[in-house]
Amino acid sequence: MRPGLAGRLSRALVGWHPRRWRERYREEMLEVLDQHHPTVRTVASLGASAVGAHLDPAYRTDRLSLARLRRAALTAAVVAAPLALVLGPVGYRMWQDSYWHPAADEPLETAAFSPHGGIMVTAFGEAIDGTDMVWDVTDLSRPQRLSQFEGGQPIALSPDGRTVATIAYSGQPALWNVANPRHPVKMTTLSDGDGSKLWALAFSPDSRILATARYDKIFLWDVASPARPRLLRTLDAPVTSPAGDGNIPISPQDLAFSPGGNILASATGTDQVTLWNVTDPARAPRLATLGGAGDFIQAFTFSSRGNLLAAVTFHGTVLVYSLADPPRPARTATARALLTRALYPSGSPQPEETPLCATCQPASYAVAFTPNGHTLTVVVDREEMSANSGRDTIFDWPVTGSGALGAVTVTARDVADFQPVIAPGDRTVLGSPPGSHAWHAWPLP
Amino acid sequence: MHGKFDDLGRFADPSLLILTSLSDGPKHGYAIMTDVAAFSGVSMEPGTLYGALSRLERRGWIRPLATAERRRPYEITAAGQEILAEQVKTMQQIVRVARLRTAMAWGA
Repeated sequence: MRPGLAGRLSRALVGWHPRRWRERYREEMLEVLDQHHPTVRTVASLGASAVGAHLDPAYRTDRLSLARLRRAALTAAVVAAPLALVLGPVGYRMWQDSYWHPAADEPLETAAFSPHGGIMVTAFGEAIDGTDMVWDVTDLSRPQRLSQFEGGQPIALSPDGRTVATIAYSGQPALWNVANPRHPVKMTTLSDGDGSKLWALAFSPDSRILATARYDKIFLWDVASPARPRLLRTLDAPVTSPAGDGNIPISPQDLAFSPGGNILASATGTDQVTLWNVTDPARAPRLATLGGAGDFIQAFTFSSRGNLLAAVTFHGTVLVYSLADPPRPARTATARALLTRALYPSGSPQPEETPLCATCQPASYAVAFTPNGHTLTVVVDREEMSANSGRDTIFDWPVTGSGALGAVTVTARDVADFQPVIAPGDRTVLGSPPGSHAWHAWPLP
Repeated sequence: MHGKFDDLGRFADPSLLILTSLSDGPKHGYAIMTDVAAFSGVSMEPGTLYGALSRLERRGWIRPLATAERRRPYEITAAGQEILAEQVKTMQQIVRVARLRTAMAWGA
């Protein structure tokens, strides 16, 4: 405490003693304070002295009457009520913004980040009329909500941070201008003539190409002028089983451009990742197929150099492929049985359980390489297994330059996330507990 | 060994220090604080000092003198000297026993 402030507080506290005390000791106490160097201890001792004097029957001369109590209560209420009205919401907002961030009426489903703009867009629920929110994440530990719009999900944010691709109420992809992130403006709705569910969206690194994925089709759009998008190419994506077959998992497929922008990777309800050469997006021939999973691909990610691709499957197998020679990719590592290796926070393994239904998703996954490519992280949340599991488990593998995985580190986290999302480059996970209407961010160990 | 001084409870220490300080002549508040700090190393704050002065004055162990330029000196009364002597005697007894026992325990 600054000496000046301590001195002022000390003098004020002398005045808070009872009247009879002040009449007797005030002048000499002030004289002592003039010679003394008041500190926090001085303030504390005078505070205790004032309280003690008020409790001392020798100085408590003012008798409390009911009328005085009423007046005091009324005055306190008149002062406190407007203060509570103003400060209550401000305090709640500060508390909420420090850890819990408002979602819509459903848990966080996915988040998209602009690599340079410090902007994040979140989407909640699976509804096509769901709410999307735009955040300033210059400091991800203190996100600032800038705006929201009725955009639904899936979502993709162009790397230049200016355009959000999402889904229109008609089920068609839609583009929103978020160049001013406080005022998103819907620019246009794309029309691909396909009525099946829109699963995934991805922008090319230069923000000029948008890929949209449906059940067995991938559409490539020229969005260099987002207000006037142009369909460049429709790709026939491989599927393992026909639509409507009970073996098809009700799970989102993944879609991503390589960091260099010349490869598009897709997994459309299959047990393989398909690589497309999009150097010329108007042609986009199939480049290669990454197989060997023996299970539906759930999510995948490129390493920052683009030389590796890691995928995680429906039942918890992790595969790493080397793309050093993209037409001839090679599987370099396989890690199986993540679900049975998932841990409770106590460190004990979660039991093998039968999923609630044959096609129910047994777990949600988030997968990412660290920016230097030295670590592969997979976050597993088994919230679908049963009511009493549902905890995040983090698997970290060291990765060699050739794509081999070292010994895994397994860490348990005692909070469940409906769908964990790893923020790029930040070692931070975003998620909403099941049933919660708020999301939180927590650092990876 | 229960005496009047024990009724001061947790305020006994500041009161004893103040009585000791006044035992060699009247002093005003700030002079008491500096004197106590000099002979005991205890840094007494104004709130503590005046709380103790108030209690000692009400018990008749000290009395205020005429104010000079906002400074009011206090002097110890005969009753105060008596209570201080009694308290010092008690403390000497404690010190004697403590010395004896610690010497035995340490084998000195």
